[in-house]
Amino acid sequence: MIENKAAAITIKSSMKNTIIELLEKAINKEIFDAVIIPMETPAKDSFVYVLVKDKNLLKDSNPLPPVMFVQGAKAVSSITRLGEGNLKIAAILRPCEIRAAIELAKVGQTNLDNITLISMDCPGVLPYPDFLSDPKKYKKLFEEAVEKWDNKLMRPVCQICNHSSMVSGDIHFATLGINKDKMYLIPNSSKGKNLIEKLELPLKENIESWQKKVKEISEKRHGKRKKTHKDLKTKIGGIDNFVDTFSNCINCHNCMRVCPVCFCRLCYFDSDKVKHNSEDYLDRAETKGSLRFLPDTSLFHIGRMSHMSLSCVSCGSCEDACPMAIPVAQVFSMIADETQELFNYVSGRDLKEPIPLVAYKEEELRDMEDAHD
Amino acid sequence: MERKIGVYLCECGPNISEKVDLDRVKKEISSIDDVAVVEKFKLLCSADGKKYLEEQIKNHNLTHLVIAACSPKEHEITFMEVCENADLNPYLFQLANIREQCAWITADKEEATKKAIRIVKAAVGRVKYHSSLEKKEIESIPDVLVIGGGIAGIEASLQLASSKRKVFLVEKTSELGGLIKNFEKTFGDMKSATELIDNKIQNINTNENIKVLTNCEVGEVIGFFGNFEIKIKTTTGENEPIEFNVGAIVVATGSQLFNPEKTPQFGYSKLDNVFTSLEFEKMNLTKNITLKNGKTPTSVAFIHCVGREEKGYCSGICCLYSLKYASYLKEKLPKVKIINLYSDLCIPGKKDEKFFNEVKSKNVDFIRSSDVEVEKNKNQLKINFKNKEGKKNSILVDMVVLAPAIEPTIDAVKIAEITGISQDKEGFFAEEHEKLNPISTSTEGIYIAGCAQGPKNISETIIQSEAAAGKILSSLIPGKKIKPEVKTSVISESLCIGCKTCLTVCSYGAITFDETKKISVVNEVICRGCGNCVAACPSGAASIKHFKFNQIYQELLEAVK
Amino acid sequence: MVELNSNTDVLVIGAGIAGIEASLMLSKADRNVHLIEKTSYTGGSSIKYEEVFSNMECSTCMVAPIQQEIIQDKNINLLTLTEVESIKGSLGNFNVRIHKKARYVDMDNCIGCNACFDPCPVSINNEFEEGLSKRKAIYVPCAGALPNVPMIDTKNCLRFNGKECSACKEACMFEAIDYSQKDEKTDIKVGSIIVATGFDLMDTKKLQEYGYGKIDDVYTSMEFERLYASNGPTEGKIILKNGKTPKSVAIIHCVGRKEKGYCSSVCCMYSLKFIHYLKSKISNINISELYTDFCIPGKSHQKFYEKMKKNQVNMIRASDIEVKKQNNDINVNFNIETGEKKNILVDMVILTPAIEPRNTSIKLSKTLGISIDEYGFFKENSSDTSSVISSKPGIFIVGCAQGAKNIQDSVSQATAAVGKILSL
Repeated sequence: MIENKAAAITIKSSMKNTIIELLEKAINKEIFDAVIIPMETPAKDSFVYVLVKDKNLLKDSNPLPPVMFVQGAKAVSSITRLGEGNLKIAAILRPCEIRAAIELAKVGQTNLDNITLISMDCPGVLPYPDFLSDPKKYKKLFEEAVEKWDNKLMRPVCQICNHSSMVSGDIHFATLGINKDKMYLIPNSSKGKNLIEKLELPLKENIESWQKKVKEISEKRHGKRKKTHKDLKTKIGGIDNFVDTFSNCINCHNCMRVCPVCFCRLCYFDSDKVKHNSEDYLDRAETKGSLRFLPDTSLFHIGRMSHMSLSCVSCGSCEDACPMAIPVAQVFSMIADETQELFNYVSGRDLKEPIPLVAYKEEELRDMEDAHD
Repeated sequence: MERKIGVYLCECGPNISEKVDLDRVKKEISSIDDVAVVEKFKLLCSADGKKYLEEQIKNHNLTHLVIAACSPKEHEITFMEVCENADLNPYLFQLANIREQCAWITADKEEATKKAIRIVKAAVGRVKYHSSLEKKEIESIPDVLVIGGGIAGIEASLQLASSKRKVFLVEKTSELGGLIKNFEKTFGDMKSATELIDNKIQNINTNENIKVLTNCEVGEVIGFFGNFEIKIKTTTGENEPIEFNVGAIVVATGSQLFNPEKTPQFGYSKLDNVFTSLEFEKMNLTKNITLKNGKTPTSVAFIHCVGREEKGYCSGICCLYSLKYASYLKEKLPKVKIINLYSDLCIPGKKDEKFFNEVKSKNVDFIRSSDVEVEKNKNQLKINFKNKEGKKNSILVDMVVLAPAIEPTIDAVKIAEITGISQDKEGFFAEEHEKLNPISTSTEGIYIAGCAQGPKNISETIIQSEAAAGKILSSLIPGKKIKPEVKTSVISESLCIGCKTCLTVCSYGAITFDETKKISVVNEVICRGCGNCVAACPSGAASIKHFKFNQIYQELLEAVK
Repeated sequence: MVELNSNTDVLVIGAGIAGIEASLMLSKADRNVHLIEKTSYTGGSSIKYEEVFSNMECSTCMVAPIQQEIIQDKNINLLTLTEVESIKGSLGNFNVRIHKKARYVDMDNCIGCNACFDPCPVSINNEFEEGLSKRKAIYVPCAGALPNVPMIDTKNCLRFNGKECSACKEACMFEAIDYSQKDEKTDIKVGSIIVATGFDLMDTKKLQEYGYGKIDDVYTSMEFERLYASNGPTEGKIILKNGKTPKSVAIIHCVGRKEKGYCSSVCCMYSLKFIHYLKSKISNINISELYTDFCIPGKSHQKFYEKMKKNQVNMIRASDIEVKKQNNDINVNFNIETGEKKNILVDMVILTPAIEPRNTSIKLSKTLGISIDEYGFFKENSSDTSSVISSKPGIFIVGCAQGAKNIQDSVSQATAAVGKILSL
């Protein structure tokens, strides 16, 4: 955070409309050229990210949709994948989507120079199998859940999310712990601060009540997260349990495809490196007695984990995309916590913080080594 | 094309044949697909053996060769030559070590035989995936850029310059000579430093193969060993940048003194008549040794090890130059009282002890001390300290000369960035190997000499400069082409996603980023084939020739089947 | 500048670390090098150490690749068991007569299987192992010596002393043993010469106060290096003469410094290395360092000192040291800074004797016609600023032959000498 003061905005009709009005104002003032923001589809049964240039279309958008179909970082990343554009774009994203976008920027998969990342206090998102079963019902349930800030219906990883408020990005819309008739605009970077100043919104509001509420929620979540992970570990711990957990996997690789931080052009596990001679398969079948096809399912998951767990933002997109309802996100999120902790790293927290893989420290992981001296 | 692998098992006298049942190995290997011939031979590295192999390769039209024998360290080169002589690309060959890694370490013959079979199978599995690799040759430029016109740069330039090799000597100030220009004499032999440096500078100025660029700094260095593109800018900012190409660079940017203001207990810059060694040298050279008020000092204290604790190393020359200063004083002000406050006497050179004894005999005091502090005491300076027994003590002197630690110059950071060479924690440039290669850096073609590499005296500096010259003279020969490493990294254009992870982990600066295609590109000349990029690449776009995934995978697979 | 038709070949005397590095660099520049070595092995003193300061790198691993390179390098003519007998001529045109002693083993046929050692009936003190273990009359000085070919020590061999014995020849399957070999004298022409003959440790028996040679378990640093070495007489076990593990050690610096009149510059650093050696094998061993001044110049050396000090070592500034036997212990008496007399009782004493030039240096200096200084080291030309230039143009002196120094400085000098030669 840049400083302890925010800009207060009165909510006239709804939070959603207030945000949209602010974005319209920003486009009018030419602070942004376009906005990327979720919108409901005409069929009214899903939400998509739309790059909007015509501010008049903004009124149909929804900054806090009940579901996350495409992970927002993927959407943002594709805009500037080939380089910084000239368009100044505001992106309204969930906190985990912002973190994912920052992770992608670290590896040259997106350029955030002309993109302003805007987050808000996030209640989580509904699992889309649930949502798709009855969109109308679940839209209403989501609204109620937002009112009460109750996340029992959200994705399992959302229910124990400890980064659901302001983490990184440029500007944050704060609603927790504040009177329902207003919300705060908190600058989270110098870019964000400049923007708020350009919008002529004075930064004089004290944000203590928000900070207090966020802390309260965070502490509760922390306890729940630790317990959930402990239970999960007993369930999937050990090679046999692990294999069982993933035994339903049909190798569709959907989880990898929807994951925002899996960015390889050709996944290792789709490449020739995992294609072997038939003699080799026969040998393996002989050694083990039999060989399941398609082979190397557990290897795929462990491999993907070792490749991306330092960048995992626990968004849960992978689990929603799994046609076999395997708790992929829960497992990966738990492992990601542990691997990131080894390096005191939080993915997407700071663009300037290099990914541990490329950060050299003379003394590191001493307890993992066989110390000679 | 059909593969015809020839496998030859060396008996190595009794070494292998007594420990491994080679007939059984032969039988097992013969049954592998693509293996055209398997034979035993008494001693393949002998003249007979090599001739035999050549004939075998030609007669059987072998496409690949596997030899099961001793360690590659012993004879890989030998058998690669055999391949070349038989017109088989030497990289289509694999040496399976069944001696050091099998026969010599396995007592039980049955176990050794089984292990040998695995090792040879692994080699056969691997060699199937080998590709021909060609040795390359590139043109090189023999000229050299020397950065820094002090004694190190001057000496290197004089050694290197010849009619076939130009030297560009770049100096940021307006004059050559560096720190020595401030000395009257050099310690030990107490010879004239002025004569020493003036002679050297004259040699430089009369050498038509050395181009001196004073008031200049290096702006940009792009390229690699044999071909660096250099841009020099003038510090006065007037003229256009100067551009030229060289084959090698010597970084001789020298040192500066630790600022004693950081150790306020010595009173530097606060109290009158507290000088650094360099200030004392200048005073001695240019005028008389006097106090601020113009009077002659009757007593001088030399405080050693200033900044040693802060920097964490001994600068190696201060004890000796303090002796030199005592000599100056005794010559010019014979009645002056001289006291040295030191912690450990560092006089490692073979003539240093003699010099020490000579100076000491002239009534120069040496007091082992710690916790030294300087304060004002009327017109004098009071030095408080703890003596060797730990008791508090103090002396009154007119003048204090501090011996501050030697640090790299402030330009070192800039030079490191521009050239891509590394600095250690103290800011000295990092040598390639502490013992065997203190002159080279991890960037091939860039060498370091003098105090830029670490604190040292003039004699050691001259040796390092001559050594840097030696390195260049032996590797960058006019007309001779450079043969870079063959087993280098290759980055697949189609697989690379431009994450730049490889760039961060490459210690040699061999990878650059193509901004247009948004992919990383390996410079095969600089690449040393270390494999860091391959290990780090998340998408498997980077691979090393001769250590491709398939090659390693098949070798492993066969070894553990 | 030398005339165009002068010889560009180089003679390097001594295949220790300095000689090896110089030869490899000269070869890279396409110069022909005659690398002669008095002993049967290359690497000199550097292969006697298990580890080197200050990064504790394995010394044999560091040196082995370059030892291998000089054997295989086409431009380098490595001649072991060879010395210079006489020279004539001057810079650009030296005629050198070299004397190559017979090895009595064919270097091409021998594959280094060591089958000839066992049957040899003779057993003598192994000089390489500082007399701490025995060797045969046909031997290699240590496991891993390169070239990996044995030699016959004719002074002790039965056959060469008139007795009947061909045990080694009978054991060899490669017909590599050849008693008929003869010493050879060859004349070679070279343009320049590098003297890299290295050092010896001063004979500590002369210094009665340290009890060396009289009291068991008083070792020189070189002997201790061999004790610690994994290919040494105890395979790296630090044990006393009675087989027990020492509980306390005193390392005494500056042995012979007063007599010699110079500081040997490396002892403080390797004494710290010894702390590492001792603590890594005997974690609760009590170590006392008795020193006068800690001489550790160099950007990385003090860091090493701080690290080793953390091992709870007693650093004692001491003078007037005397080593005496006291029952089963060794009593080390000394004066501390205040003048007070103190003593410690230890199981083992390690001395750091002064480094001196080889005892053959005087003879070599006469043969080559170059000066030696008052300490016996080869003397550098005083009118030149470079310390590698001897009193005779065309002859260069590097490494410990010129003055006591560590490996880094020896290698720098070797490289500098090559630089001088290539720029001639």
